Amino acid sequence: MSTINFAAREINCKIVYYGPGMSGKTTNLKFIFGKVPENLRGDMVSLATEDERTLFFDFLPLDLGTVQGFKTRFHLYTVPGQVFYNASRKLILRGVDGIVFVADSAPNRLRANAESMRNLRENLKEYNLSLDDVPLVIQINKRDLPDALPVEMILQVIDPQGRFPYFESVADKGTGVFESLKAASKRVLEKLSQPK
Amino acid sequence: MIEPSLALYGEAFERVGHLLDELLQTTHARYTLLVDRKGFVLAHKEALWAPRPPSLDSIATLIAGNAAATSALAKLLGESQFNELVHQGENVGLYVEGVSTYALMVVIFDGSAPLGRIKLFVKKTIGEVAHILEQEANAPKPDLKLDGDFSSSASALLDDLFG
Repeated sequence: MSTINFAAREINCKIVYYGPGMSGKTTNLKFIFGKVPENLRGDMVSLATEDERTLFFDFLPLDLGTVQGFKTRFHLYTVPGQVFYNASRKLILRGVDGIVFVADSAPNRLRANAESMRNLRENLKEYNLSLDDVPLVIQINKRDLPDALPVEMILQVIDPQGRFPYFESVADKGTGVFESLKAASKRVLEKLSQPK
Repeated sequence: MIEPSLALYGEAFERVGHLLDELLQTTHARYTLLVDRKGFVLAHKEALWAPRPPSLDSIATLIAGNAAATSALAKLLGESQFNELVHQGENVGLYVEGVSTYALMVVIFDGSAPLGRIKLFVKKTIGEVAHILEQEANAPKPDLKLDGDFSSSASALLDDLFG
C-alpha cells in the first residue's frame, strides 16, 4: 500500500529488488544512482559488509516528478540475497508496492533462482500476500556470461506459467536496468489508479 | 495492505507539526521526526539553531530498518516489540519511541539536551500524537481521484525519466 501524503501532496511507493545472492540487485541500484540526475535522487544508503555484500539493505530515494498535482517518489530497496539472511530480508518486504526479481543466468545458480523465488513467496505469505497481490517484474541478469543459460530455461524455473513480464539485462553495463525499473514503476502506478 | 498505512494531511498534519515544534523547544533537541514503520517521513521539524540535518530520507529509512530489526529481536525474546531505543554517541544521541502501531517518534539531540528531559517530554508528546493518529486512522479517507489520466501521465513521466 503506497503512502499518500496529502499535506505535502506526495505519493510514496516502495520497490524492492529481490533475488538470490550475487545476482546483481545492488549493481542495479548503483547503476540507477549513477545515471539519474542529482536533483531527482537522494543519497544512496548501503549497509554492506567489507567485501560489499549487502548485509541489511541498500536504499535509494527517487523523485519522478509531479503527476496530477502529486509529487511522486519511489523508494528503491534491495534485500541481502544470501540464504541465511532471511530474517532481515523479510523485514525489507514490509509495505512493498512492487518487486523486481533479479535472476542470475549462471548455470550453477539456476537452483538458487528457484530457491529465492520460493522464499519470496513464503515471506510474502507471512504478510498475507501472494505473488498476485504485488506487481512483479523479472529481470534476467548477467546475459553477457559466456555460459549463460537460455532465458526460457530460467523462466521455466521461476515463472513456469509465464505470468510476469521479464527483461534481459547486463546490470553492470546498464542494459535492461531502466527497462525493468520502468516496467515495475508503471505497474505500481497503474495499481494505484485502479479502484480498490 | 501490509502495514497500517497512514497519511497525515490538513489539520492533523498541522497539529502534529505544532507538537513536534513544542517538543524541540522543551527538550532543546536538534531535530524531531515522525516516521512511519515503512521508513517514510510523515512530519519533521528542525530547531532553528541546529545545523542542517543529514538526508531525512536516509535517517527515516535507517530508523525504520533498525526498529524493524530490534522488534524482530524482541520477538525472539518473547516481547512483542521494544518500545524505546536510545543510541548515545560521544556528541550526538538518538531517541526513538514507537507511537502506537503506526509510527516512530525520533528525536536527535546533542550535549545541550539532557536525555532524561527528552524521555519525559517525548512520552508526553507521544500520547497526544498517538491520539491524533488514531483519529486519522479512523477518519474517512479523502477521495483521491486517480483515474486513467493518472496512469497515462505517470507513464509519460516514466518515459521522460528513463527513456
